[in-house]
Amino acid sequence: MTVKIITDSLGDIPPEAVQELGITVIPINVIFGRINYRDGVDLTTEQFYDKLASSKIFPTTIVPSLGRYADAYDKVAEETGDILVITNSHRLSASYETALLAKERMNKKCRVEVVDSLSTILAQGLIVMAAARAARDGARLDKVLELTRHNIPRAHTRMAFDTLEYLRRGGRIGKARTFLGTVLKISPILGIRNGEVYPFAREHSRARAIEYLYEFADGFTRIDGIGVEDATTPDEADELTQRLQSRFPDVTIYRAKVSPGVGVHVGPRVLGVAVLGDRD
Amino acid sequence: MAEARAISGKDLRDMFVAATGWLEKSAADVDALNVFPVPDGDTGTNMLLTMRSSIEESYQAANSASGVARAIAKGALIGARGNSGVILSQIWNGMAQGLDEKDTMTGADLVTALLKASKTAYNGLSNPVEGTILTVIREAAEAAEKHAAEVSNDLISVMEATVDAARESVANTPTLLPVLKECGVVDAGGQGLYTILEGALHYLKGETEQLELRRPWMVASSIPLTTKVPQMVGAMDEVPYGYCTNFVIKGAEIDPDKLRKRLEKRGESVIVIGDDSAVRVHIHTLDPGEIMHYVNPLGTLHQINIRNMDEQYRDFLEMQKERMPGVDTAIVAVVAGEGLSQVFTSLGATIIVPGGQTMNPSTKDLLQAVEAVPSEKVIILPNNKNIVLTAEQVPSLTGKKINVVPTKTIPQGVAALLAFDYEADLETNAVSMYQAHSEVRSIEVTRAVRATRLGGLDIKKRQAIGFLDGDLVAVADKVDEVLNQALERVNPDEAEVVTIYYGADTKLAEAEQVAAAVRERYPQLQVEVVQGGQPHYNYIASVE
Repeated sequence: MTVKIITDSLGDIPPEAVQELGITVIPINVIFGRINYRDGVDLTTEQFYDKLASSKIFPTTIVPSLGRYADAYDKVAEETGDILVITNSHRLSASYETALLAKERMNKKCRVEVVDSLSTILAQGLIVMAAARAARDGARLDKVLELTRHNIPRAHTRMAFDTLEYLRRGGRIGKARTFLGTVLKISPILGIRNGEVYPFAREHSRARAIEYLYEFADGFTRIDGIGVEDATTPDEADELTQRLQSRFPDVTIYRAKVSPGVGVHVGPRVLGVAVLGDRD
Repeated sequence: MAEARAISGKDLRDMFVAATGWLEKSAADVDALNVFPVPDGDTGTNMLLTMRSSIEESYQAANSASGVARAIAKGALIGARGNSGVILSQIWNGMAQGLDEKDTMTGADLVTALLKASKTAYNGLSNPVEGTILTVIREAAEAAEKHAAEVSNDLISVMEATVDAARESVANTPTLLPVLKECGVVDAGGQGLYTILEGALHYLKGETEQLELRRPWMVASSIPLTTKVPQMVGAMDEVPYGYCTNFVIKGAEIDPDKLRKRLEKRGESVIVIGDDSAVRVHIHTLDPGEIMHYVNPLGTLHQINIRNMDEQYRDFLEMQKERMPGVDTAIVAVVAGEGLSQVFTSLGATIIVPGGQTMNPSTKDLLQAVEAVPSEKVIILPNNKNIVLTAEQVPSLTGKKINVVPTKTIPQGVAALLAFDYEADLETNAVSMYQAHSEVRSIEVTRAVRATRLGGLDIKKRQAIGFLDGDLVAVADKVDEVLNQALERVNPDEAEVVTIYYGADTKLAEAEQVAAAVRERYPQLQVEVVQGGQPHYNYIASVE
């Protein structure tokens, strides 16, 4: 029986890949005041950033209820008896806890394994896609689970920020709070380490920040996949994608948009690179 | 050489101005010598600041030798900094007494003044220590007396003998003071006094060229370095700290000697100097209130400065624990100016030690900062070429692991700090910060303190001068011109970001104009204007 993969929308997986690999994505709720949008379903990235710019209300996110997760499990269980749920880092959202508890709430009888990706954006996405590909190619659940656990420490990400204000307001700033309140205009480079936001570097200009992202990917010796994503600056992301593609001609580079659920916390002009691979 | 030549009060003042200029040239070297009573590396600076205060006051004085000498003593009393400054002010106080009612100063008057200076210096201290500036003034005065009696009492001749004796005395200080011997250095205060006397001699001999073009010699120790620098030197053992209490009492009929004796029962490191109308007090006490209460009836209190050395330390630890969770390498940065301090703090410097071009912090200041941070690993950013050496003394004085990234300018410090990686260990950080500090170009713009010729450029007093990475590259009347000239040297077409920190004496509007001009000339540059608030420099700019 083919293993099916479920994840939340914070992995920023491009819709084509979701379609192609048969991944089920549970949308996070993005809330502007009293209006609830389902991440990527009712609200695209462009619409979200337009609203963010025009709305006086500061948006928030909320993980769907246990019931929604359980419903998603039941629906997938119609096709398979083996489900792997790979969630956003438990340090960044309640997705993992909800996914675990939802196992008890589902109606159908089905084996469901829940794994914390300890990651987010396309780093989470690359882990999910690798699992989905293995599943599509016929790997059994234990094998896919093993692969996923192997991949979790191999998924790395760096994001160039313009401002850390959104991260601070959303309470996701973690150790990057040491980068807050700088008098100088700098581009902080953050990533995920041990499941939480981590301050990696500070560059004194946008150009240098983008160079950092390139060199970050360039530093890997073995690469299974690369993701490049932007919030509001597609040209920068396209150019970076091209450079990385020339550098790694045989590697698949996924080009994605920051999802609204992530956008609430990272704000505009974020540019991210995710790599699934090894550095030594 | 005319016998019994005399100089006027105006000459005496000019002699002090020249001597101060001479000291200024080697103040940093003198700083680096300092190990007694505490290894705080600011003796040269403290003496220089004390001398500057004297000079300032001397311009208010009547033109008689006694008037100028009195003003110099008064200026030193009010402006005295540190132990060495306080003792120096005692020396000038004695000199003024020696020149009392003299319209001019002859060789014989100089002898009297020096002898009185020596006596007064010893009297000011509750516990005079040989092998210090005290020994130097005493031996110099004795030599002057002998020379005048046996060879010549010509002013220049006496001064020559004085300077020669002072030099020998300085070289000999390590044999008298073990801590100097252990460190292989001469006494810093002694060296400072010798330098002042030597500067005065150059002036008397009309050697203006020497004064302009040469630098003072640093006297070498008469005995070679035998052992390594000790873990901790002298008075550093004096813990707990209590309160470091400083103030000036102005009143009538104050008896400094009586006051000193009384205060000695109430605290440690007591220094009381001055005359019956104004007295400066320095004391380490556990109860500053009691001290204040005690001295209050004597007159009005001024320049009161009380620092709780214990509490500062504890508060600091608490604050740091909250601020820097989980960061195991701390950063100590030397920065002057509120704006720049904010820049460094906001970029993650754990503690700022105030200081810079005109105010070099001591090794002790740096050591205390290092000891205060709640990390066992510390990186020091000196941010000034005159502080690098001081910073490099710190690793041998503490059990903590220290790395000094030898940043010589503020932009280098910022670049290094930006490269700090929270994930990396001390060595890795030191390497990447060192790398980063060398990738930025630093421009510093200030105004010339006096006319001079430097790096092939003629500089008039008050003209704007620009340094690129510490080298003088531009001179012009306007500061923005100088900034532009310096910028041209960097090849700004290849740069991306220019950050302009404007100084305490520069207005934002002015800085914005300068920035706008730069943007217009180099449209591809990202130009940022930041309030630095630094003294001395109108602009500090980084080019990356």
